[in-house]
Amino acid sequence: MAFLFPSLGLGNIFYVGLLLINGIAIISEDRFLARIGWGSTSAAEPGFGGQVDTSSAKAKIVNLMNSVRTLARLPLIVVNFLVIFYLMILG
Amino acid sequence: MQRPSYTNPPPAHSPPLHHPVPQHVSTVPQLRSPPPPAPQSQPQQSYGYNGQQQQQQGGGPSNYMQPNAFGGFMNDPTAQMGFQVGKTAVMAGQEYMEQNFNRYVNFSALKHYFNVSNSYVINKLYIVLFPWRHKPWSRQQRLSHSVGGVSGQQGANTQDAFYLPPREDTNSPDMYIPVMGFVTYILLSTLLAGLGGKFNPELLGTAATWAFLVVIFEIAIIRLAIYFLSINNESQLLDLVAYSGYKFVGINVTLVLSEVWNRGGGTGGWFGYTVFIYTYLANALFLLRSLRYVLLPDSSPNTVSGVSYTSHKSQKQSRTYFLATYSYVAQLFFMWVLTRNI
Repeated sequence: MAFLFPSLGLGNIFYVGLLLINGIAIISEDRFLARIGWGSTSAAEPGFGGQVDTSSAKAKIVNLMNSVRTLARLPLIVVNFLVIFYLMILG
Repeated sequence: MQRPSYTNPPPAHSPPLHHPVPQHVSTVPQLRSPPPPAPQSQPQQSYGYNGQQQQQQGGGPSNYMQPNAFGGFMNDPTAQMGFQVGKTAVMAGQEYMEQNFNRYVNFSALKHYFNVSNSYVINKLYIVLFPWRHKPWSRQQRLSHSVGGVSGQQGANTQDAFYLPPREDTNSPDMYIPVMGFVTYILLSTLLAGLGGKFNPELLGTAATWAFLVVIFEIAIIRLAIYFLSINNESQLLDLVAYSGYKFVGINVTLVLSEVWNRGGGTGGWFGYTVFIYTYLANALFLLRSLRYVLLPDSSPNTVSGVSYTSHKSQKQSRTYFLATYSYVAQLFFMWVLTRNI
């Protein structure tokens, strides 16, 4: 792939990662995730008196997305600003 | 004459600055003129050093024969002083760097991975390329309560079980083969590009970047999977790096064989594909059997893990699915990516 797609550089991979994380940070919880069943309360709250299910894969994914949302918002603002600035200056 | 130890902190060497070094140096040339002015003559350096130590006590561990090699300008006392200070500063800087670097890179753990022998390397290459002929796949442990350890396989639950180094246990992952395979892959792919007439020095960097990214991506996948599937495993990061580096062996074999067969025409053709499929399957089987002990912890009940896992059948199933998917699908993608040549 290094030779067939020389235009796919390291910077582009970085942009892809940045956009993905932006997507995770932006996704609206009550409008989308709750509909799917990935809301933060429905995954953490038990069904009918069972234990809190924090060990299943789904609960962990939901947990990870929530934590990315809370923690990464501020650094994401900074990184996005820098990237936009950089892309605007260098065309 | 005793040399001061090298671990003295820099302030301890400031006395030589006040030491009457300049006055003594004027008599030194008489001692240094007999040795011929060969710059790399080590025996004469020690001879001259001994001769000078009697005149300059506590002169620091610097080598006064360097001035002899440099010619006339080092006979100047100020320059010698400066040289001394420079030497001390360099040593202090090295110590500082070592201390700080050791926090980021665990050198002693790295040494464990490079503790290989020739027979280990040959056996391991044999296993990677022909994994179905290998019987026991579990890593041997040595259990040690105290300094004098009790060696053996999985015995009673102790607190301090560590794995045998690669020299003694063929199943233990090492870093020598992955590192060598990585470098060989970079050089080989650039060489093949050059043989095809399409060389430019950038290719070295591109190949290195891609191989590096593949390894990092793989490790990210495994770490995410370990988190999502609640796999309680204390396997080291370097273990995973090593396991994902073994595919370079298969990739190198594929590149060499297919280029030889195709006479420099790339890795296509039926022969190239056959060799690629074979090395891919061998690598997948190798990973399947090796990562079984990393990703499916409930298959070995005697390992040291005090955490009680509440895993249901579905979790075990998802773990197994992940292991199979990773070994086959992901590896296919990565190996294909790395063998797509001109």
